[in-house]
This record gives sequence, structure tokens and C-alpha cells, in this order.
Amino acid sequence: MAGLDATVAVPTPPARGPRFAWVVFLIVPIIVFLAVFFLIPYANMVYMSFLVKPAEGAYLKQFTLENYGRTLGDPFYWRILRNTFWYSLLTTAITLVLGYPLAYHIARAPKRWRGWLLVLLISPLLVSVIVRSFGWMILLGRVGLINQLVKSYGGPELHLMYNAFGIIVGLVHVYLPFMALSIAGALQTISPDIERAARSLGASPWRAFWRVTWRLSLPGVFAGTLLVFVLAVSSYVIPILLGANNVLVMPMVIVQMLLDAFNWPLGSALAMVLFGFTVLLLWLYVKIMNRAMRWTAR
Amino acid sequence: MTRRRDRGWVLGVTVTILYLFLLAPIVIVILSAFNAGEYLRFPPQGFSLRWFVRFTESPSFVRAFEFSLRLAVYVTLASTVLGTMGALFIVRHARRVRDALRLLLLAPLQFPAILTGIALLIFFYATGIGTRGMRPLFIGHTLVTIPYVFLTVSTVLVGFDRSLEEAARSLGAGPFRTFWRVTLPIIKGGIISGALFAFITSFDQFPISLLLISVGNTTLPIALFDYLRFSFEPTAAAVSTLSVLLSVGIVLLIQRLVGLESIYWGGPR
Repeated sequence: MAGLDATVAVPTPPARGPRFAWVVFLIVPIIVFLAVFFLIPYANMVYMSFLVKPAEGAYLKQFTLENYGRTLGDPFYWRILRNTFWYSLLTTAITLVLGYPLAYHIARAPKRWRGWLLVLLISPLLVSVIVRSFGWMILLGRVGLINQLVKSYGGPELHLMYNAFGIIVGLVHVYLPFMALSIAGALQTISPDIERAARSLGASPWRAFWRVTWRLSLPGVFAGTLLVFVLAVSSYVIPILLGANNVLVMPMVIVQMLLDAFNWPLGSALAMVLFGFTVLLLWLYVKIMNRAMRWTAR
Repeated sequence: MTRRRDRGWVLGVTVTILYLFLLAPIVIVILSAFNAGEYLRFPPQGFSLRWFVRFTESPSFVRAFEFSLRLAVYVTLASTVLGTMGALFIVRHARRVRDALRLLLLAPLQFPAILTGIALLIFFYATGIGTRGMRPLFIGHTLVTIPYVFLTVSTVLVGFDRSLEEAARSLGAGPFRTFWRVTLPIIKGGIISGALFAFITSFDQFPISLLLISVGNTTLPIALFDYLRFSFEPTAAAVSTLSVLLSVGIVLLIQRLVGLESIYWGGPR
């Protein structure tokens, strides 16, 4: 639910000098905790990706770039990277198309309904991904409900699962609420009066939407697409349950490398490569979006 | 006028279909849990509780369920205390470093959980902490649940009227008494919501658990995952139904306590 932070702002309270130095003890425990169990492990992983993997044992404290060389020199990993980013991109695009009407509806709903619509939207988020994948397995399987239905009308057996289609359905289902919530947060701050004003000045409904509402909601679209893309790139459960091993994505390969092959240096390097490319793509996207937003602001 | 109503109608139908899409897999799991047959068919083959009975007879599932509950309780306690303290400091006392601290506390949410799990796994081995028992899971889950508590508690703290505390102080109450009798009762809703989010996040957590579980200490999502890779038996549906009920109960509780709206959009209820 990383979407939360995009919408919750912590404004500055009136300046008031801390009269007691002991308030620092409120923050010290959590900083120590995060430093020891978050920052250091991540730094350690980066370090690990530069170490040598000996035939025996986990790693040797010897600097090497070989892990990166092996990762970037192997077309196998490139193919998997391309798969991973392609599915994430597709998921982001579909959740955007589906999430926008959901967000629009919730942001314009009467106040007393809004809470309950949010319950509907957020409940699936709090149901375990495993359970939701299980639901899709029952629906999409070879003898699943959809195939039973199709067959009873004499249709052919559809391959809906254990392929890219199943993965996309699962990913869209999991990340749709994130997208809708991000956009709804932005739409909520736009007064419906602005759109009405455009209408009363003679704009068609579509034109009023396109020229006014859509443009004002771009920050929410921006936040939502970033969030969904990042989450989709690192998803593991859905590809493995709904794609079986027919479709490989990067997180699956990384986990296999660590848990099954027990190769920490190479696994860490793979993780860093995935991370690096994700950051690179996001950077490009932010640049393009900034330009687009400046352009639409005209 | 009719044109506008038409547009509303189209939106209504679209949105209804989307909500059905969101709920479909969950409803299907619940239906197959109560279904009498081995496999879910249409029409269903009658109502039965046999899969729930089968669950109680499965030692591995029951043990995993208990373990997950126990773990979630410890994690919730730790992250609620740490997250609340952090929120109190950051909203009220951090000035120049506020943004940096906020970023740090939210970081576990921004980084992919699977990467965090890998980093922790390597770290635990390297430092000799190991991955035995509940401790590594406890640390990993606490890490990813802290941001939820921090967010919900900061939300209520921002709307907090500090003159109430000043009144208590000027009437002679000490700082601890003021906190206990004035501040805490007011921010209680935020703390409880954060704790509930933390609880359910820990209970459903998958990627970190996958990397940090040890033999004999399996969480429920991991047990389900192992099971689903090889079979489709409705026992898994019964287990899933129990966890869905837990989640739905918690969402409704949060909605009653503070309202999801105030958490998501920072507005008043």
C-alpha cells in the first residue's frame, strides 16, 4: 500500500522549540532498528554482488565484476528482463484504463457512499495475494469455471492460465486498487464546478473532461503509474502461481539463484541489475511526464 | 439533461463490472470452501462444511495458522510502539530533518519486499543471526509493517488540537500524565487502525516469509503456497476463507474506528 504516502501530507505544525531533549528518544529506537535491519542489509547486498562465489561455500571476500559480466553478457537474462518489464508495462497500462473510471466514480460519489466504496476497493488489497491467485486458478484453470461454461456451450478449451495471459489477469487484479486510489486522491481535490464551468462555456462533455479534469488529475495518474510499475516489476507470487514455470520473470530467477542454486553473489547482482534498470526506466518516464505535464499546462 | 444521465449510466455499469472483477476471485474461493464436491462446478453440488473439518484435521495447516497468528501479534506490538513513537517525533518535533526521516520510515514500503527479504536473508547468515525460529520473520515483518502505523498515526496527529495538551499542562499535569490522559485517548483511533493494518499485513505477508522461514516454522501463506503448487483441494479454499474473513473483519473495524477516507485522503471523516 505504498500509495498511502502519495496522498497523506504531513504539514508543518506551528514552530515550537522542543523544551525537553528527551523527545529524541522517541525516534532513536526506530532509527536504530531501520539502520541495522534495513540500511545495512541492503548495503551488504550491494557489497555481496561484487564478491566471488567459490565452488565450496557461500562467498569469498574478493572483489570481482564477474557477476555483473555474467548477468549482462547472457541473452537469457536479457530476455527475462524484457519479459518482466513488458508485463509490468502492460499491467500499468491496463490498470490505468480500468482504474480511471473507478477513481472518477469514487471521487464524485456522494459523501456517505464514499466510505463504503473505499471498503470495496481496499478489501481485496487486504486479502492475501495467495488467496486471490487461488481464486483465479479456480476460475481460469483447464477445468476451471470459465472453461466449464465455455464447454457447456460447445466451445473449445481455452488456455487462460499457466501463460502470460494468466499472469496479466492476476497482476491487473492485484494492482488495480492501487491505481484507482492514487487517481482518486488527485480527482478528489478537483472541484466538479470547474468541469461544470467548462460545460457551461460550451465545451462538450468529452472536451470538458479532456481539457480540464484529465489534465488536473495528471499528478494522480503519474503517481499511480509509477507505483504500479514498480510493484509489478518485483511481483513474484502471481507469475509463479498463474504462470507456473512457463513464463519466467526476474524475481523468480533471483529467488531460484539464492534459494536453490545458493549463489548469493550472482543472485545479488541479478537483483541489482533489475533494480538498476527499473530506476533507469522510471527516470526516463519522469522526464517524459514532466515534459508532457508542462506541455498540457499551456 | 438526458445526455448527462446516459453518461452516468455508462459509468455506473463500467464501475459495477470492475467491482465484480475485483471481488470475483475472492467470492469464488469462499464458494468452493462451502461446496460439497471435490471440485467447484456450476451448479454447485450442495453446501458442506467438510473442508473446514478437513482443515482442523490437517496438522500442518493448523500449526501454520497458529504460528502466523502468534507472529502477527508480536509484530503488531513492536511496529505499533515503534511506529507511534516515530510519528509523534516526526510530526511534532522534527524540523529540518522531517522529510529525511519520513523517507526513511516509509522506505520499507517503497522497496520491493522480495528484495528486502533477500537482503535480510544474506545479512542474517553473514552475521550469524541465522534464520532459525521466529526471530528473523519477526524482524522482517516488523520492518514492512512500521510504515502503516506511521502513516495512520501521523494522519491523526496532524489534525490534533494541541491546545488541549497545553490546557492539561497548565492545569498541572506532567508530560507523561498529559500524554496518557489527553493525547493517547485522542489518537487512539489512528493507533488501533495502524495496528490492524500491521496485523493483517504480517498475517498475509508472503515474499519476506518465503525467504526467511525455517524448517518447522511455516506461516499460513507459505503453507498455502506450497499446497497450491501441487494440488487444488478445497481444504486450501477453507483455509483461504478463514483468512479472508479475518481481513474483511479488520477492514470493517478500521472503517468504524477512523474511517478509511481519513487515512487515504487525510480529510476529516
